Amino acid sequence: MTIEEFRLPDVGEGVAEGELVSWLVAPGDRVEEDQPVAEVETDKALVEVPSSYDGVVEELFVEEGDIVPVGDVIISFRVGEEDGTPADAGADGAEPTDAGADDAEPTDAGADGAEPTDAGADDADPTDSAPAADGSDEPGSPSGRTFAPPSVRRLARELGVDLAAVDGSGPGGRIAERDVREHADSGSPADDGDGEDAAIGPKPVDIGSGDRTSAVSRRDSAAGTDATTASGSGASPERAGRDRTLATPATRKLASDLGVDLDDVPTDETREGEAFVAAEHVQAYAEASARPDAEAAPPAGEAEPGVETEPTPADPATDAPTSTATTASIDADADDGTADGSGATIPYRGVRRTIGKRMAQSKFTAPHVTHHDTAEVDALVSARERLKPRAAEEETKLTYLPFVMKAVLAGLREYPILNSELREEAEEILLKGEYHFGVAVATDSGLMVPVVEDVDEKGLFELAAEVSDLASRARDRSLAPAELRGSTFTLTNFGAVGGEYATPIINYPETAVLGLGAIEKRPVVRESEDGAEVVPASTLPLSLSIDHRVVDGAVAAEFANVVMDHLEEPLLLLNE
Amino acid sequence: MVVGDISTGTEVLVIGAGPGGYVAAIRAAQRGLDTTLVEKDAYGGACLNRGCIPSKALITASGLAHEAGTAEEMGIHADPAVDLARMIEWKEEVVDRLTGGVEKLCKANGVNLVEGTARFADDHTVRVAHGGDGQGSESIEFEHAIVATGSRPVEIPGFSFADEHVWNAADALDADAVPDRLVVVGGGYIGMELATVYAKLGAEVTVVEMLEDVLDPYEDDVKRVVRKRAEELGIAFSFGEGATGWSEGGDGGYLVHTETEAGEESTYPADRVLVAVGREPVTGGLDLENAGVETDDRGFIETDDRTRSAVEHVHAVGDVAGEPMLAHVASTEGIVAAETIAGEPAALDQRAIPAAVFTDPEIGTVGMTEADAEDAGFDVAVGEMPFRASGRALTTGHSDGFVRIVADADEGFVLGAQIVGPEASELIAEVGLAIELGATLEDVAATVHTHPTLSEAVMEAAENAQGQAIHTLNR
Ligand SMILES: Cc1cc2nc3c(=O)[nH]c(=O)nc-3n(C[C@H](O)[C@H](O)[C@H](O)COP(=O)(O)OP(=O)(O)OC[C@H]3O[C@@H](n4cnc5c(N)ncnc54)[C@H](O)[C@@H]3O)c2cc1C
Repeated sequence: MTIEEFRLPDVGEGVAEGELVSWLVAPGDRVEEDQPVAEVETDKALVEVPSSYDGVVEELFVEEGDIVPVGDVIISFRVGEEDGTPADAGADGAEPTDAGADDAEPTDAGADGAEPTDAGADDADPTDSAPAADGSDEPGSPSGRTFAPPSVRRLARELGVDLAAVDGSGPGGRIAERDVREHADSGSPADDGDGEDAAIGPKPVDIGSGDRTSAVSRRDSAAGTDATTASGSGASPERAGRDRTLATPATRKLASDLGVDLDDVPTDETREGEAFVAAEHVQAYAEASARPDAEAAPPAGEAEPGVETEPTPADPATDAPTSTATTASIDADADDGTADGSGATIPYRGVRRTIGKRMAQSKFTAPHVTHHDTAEVDALVSARERLKPRAAEEETKLTYLPFVMKAVLAGLREYPILNSELREEAEEILLKGEYHFGVAVATDSGLMVPVVEDVDEKGLFELAAEVSDLASRARDRSLAPAELRGSTFTLTNFGAVGGEYATPIINYPETAVLGLGAIEKRPVVRESEDGAEVVPASTLPLSLSIDHRVVDGAVAAEFANVVMDHLEEPLLLLNE
Repeated sequence: MVVGDISTGTEVLVIGAGPGGYVAAIRAAQRGLDTTLVEKDAYGGACLNRGCIPSKALITASGLAHEAGTAEEMGIHADPAVDLARMIEWKEEVVDRLTGGVEKLCKANGVNLVEGTARFADDHTVRVAHGGDGQGSESIEFEHAIVATGSRPVEIPGFSFADEHVWNAADALDADAVPDRLVVVGGGYIGMELATVYAKLGAEVTVVEMLEDVLDPYEDDVKRVVRKRAEELGIAFSFGEGATGWSEGGDGGYLVHTETEAGEESTYPADRVLVAVGREPVTGGLDLENAGVETDDRGFIETDDRTRSAVEHVHAVGDVAGEPMLAHVASTEGIVAAETIAGEPAALDQRAIPAAVFTDPEIGTVGMTEADAEDAGFDVAVGEMPFRASGRALTTGHSDGFVRIVADADEGFVLGAQIVGPEASELIAEVGLAIELGATLEDVAATVHTHPTLSEAVMEAAENAQGQAIHTLNR
């Protein structure tokens, strides 16, 4: 009987760490190979981590909520009787052993004659005591007695190599570029063994992809019993496995960010006779390796770079009262502060960080202008009142959103420039001509924007049903990535929570986003024969943000007028 | 129709166009980042306008005048007349060329230049107030900021830079006449450099210093060479005294009052008093707290080895990020900041930062002293070469001083050097390269150096450390 440690496997797409959201097993539980043992959230998705052993859970090493780097031991199993050992123990078992050898590196270096072993070595940083005007604040340097020129030190940082652990081949142990490269090649676990383990190791299951465990688990077990079949089946792209690869620093950085070994990335390009890898190759390779479903994996090199599989947020505005849930979960996360929350820190990661990145990209790329106006919607209110029971008969809850979608459709038909995408590199603006609307939905973990396709081909009730289905599945995170992609225009209904106007952020690279305030009775001025009077009327405040690079404010206003026309006179919607 | 307001956005915002800021801005732009550089005063910062460059211009000019007038030994008899106004004008011409060059370089690299004073509105926005009436202000949103606002001279109680006869270094570099009597408060490198300038221009100079010697951070034998030469130039020293204030002197001049720790008071007659007691970071007025960035109790922004402050997307470089306050440190940090923002693996991992003092003779140091190396646990090998044994030094008429090289005795790795003597500021570069490359004493000694040059002294010192120097007795 042996104890097997199990490390957090590479959860794909270059993710270096994940939050262990919940344990699905407890010590003493019996688990079977491929049975999910934990849920881990990365910045891309929530994934289940399957066990690669048959056995009994011995110990959990990580608490729920901890951030775990890929490769850390998270759980151990008591693996009993001979036939209980997993078929692929050879492959999986190799991983912990490799890492162990890795740990041993510094010891090797210590034994090397070139490295002084006296206790003073730690504070032997030459720059610390430099006699410059005030030696105190000199920038730091690698520990005192590794002698390597600046170019080599930079390379070491790039490759993530600790110079103190490198055996220098120069006089007195001076470290050359070659030493660092050799160390990196021999030291990195990804390169160890037969080069297949990463491909056949336990793959996490992307809960968000909709096809849940089945396909992946099957592939895993197949891979476990027969490595050759697995790699031949196209489950993962072929590794090129070169010794040397040329790439620009930016590409190297991308590769290390994505956890990709450049030597494995297939390429036809060469520079001075050496294989040359560009950023697109790395991106394509990383995506192909991470794709959980074999059929979905395109041949490396053809995958479209930059395809987003994560939810595409549009705006922190919300669609439904669930925004309170968001706040609640933040409070729960703010763990190391005082009772009143002062001094607490909230982790910035996962969906939150993805939202942040996308918001920043949009706001910093597209110069936003927000146009505000108000539609008087008494007619719309009564139209919905009349239709609501009809919708209820079809078990559909009719909100105002489908009406607005149709009104926007009318506007976009007249002003197609707002349904476009600026392709700066190509120096062109693409008019989409299709009407796929993103609808911002607040969820516990942040904003998601599922997409209602072909709004022009659907009726009001159909739209209502689809929006409510997408929203509820966004909240329990069971949307497929495809359902979060491809919108051409986005709507955000912050008014459901309250408020009149906002400045919504464009769901980049779209050109416009429309924010809806709350429909309420507000004072409006009506002209009549005997002068003007102020009367209460239902009004809908509109906030339209546009990318000013693509379209000017006047066009935005004209578009808004068309939308308002259709909202004020809903019969016009019959045209759409 | 209501149209929302547009504020400018930039990927990298750099505040301050000194050697930290303009270098960062150019490198960021070279990396394809959309970069905006805000400067409230003059391109080139303290270094080009009020520091390194103007001081070196006057050091050279005053040195030339002095040299020409004291070369009887070589058979030269001259009594140079100094036109200070023209000397200052020449210095301005040099400065203008350089600052104009900085501006052109920035533009040519695609840096957006904005004139005005920046302050943080929040962690992604600054407001820039433009100089002059009614010039207004604008908001700039940024993804990353690099604070490079530099430092200013410290004022001490009793002396206000607003008084005409109280100078800071910038005033001393812009004087309209050579004062008959100059009291210099502070014997650090700036005080010593300017004391030397004015002594060579004919002023009667007294240096008042609180400590017991000049140039505090340097080793005793290094200081001694500089102090002795200063005394030969007629500079008087009063150590262990702090300046407390001034009063009117009877003769139309002033009296500078000093006090020892024990309370003994003295006065020194002066026509001008130069206060050079140190520099403090320019962080007040930046509203750093709006960005969540804190300063230490001296006002410096603390940064990591990639120049990031505690707020990761706000970097700080140069004098504002702490000691050592040197232009080349500012530029090095500027490059690391820009490359870090560009996602490159840059870091401040230099083993040795050189420093130079442009006194007569000059001082150049890099890396460890003998004591530093011993404290660090090395078995130390030290070699020296006095310039008096250098043929080239003798032919320049300047043979004070020495080269000292410090190395690890076991493997011979060069760890540091202290040079005091002619062109020390230039000679130190070779040792800096040796340290960074991990060269050994043997590497330096076996590299052929041109004869006759001052640089041979570096080679000789390395040989001396190995006990095999030819031109000196080996110790
Ligand atoms: C007399 C003298 C001699 C010197 N000699 C040497 C030498 O020989 N060698 C050496 O290495 N160093 C020398 N120095 C030091 C050197 O000048 C500084 O280390 C160097 O200038 C620091 O560069 P920096 O970019 O950090 O800041 P600075 O050069 O001080 O530049 C900061 C810039 O920021 C601007 N600024 C400040 N606040 C704002 C704001 N809110 N908005 C917009 N702009 C702002 C300022 O106007 C200034 O232009 C000397 C200094 C002096 C005074």
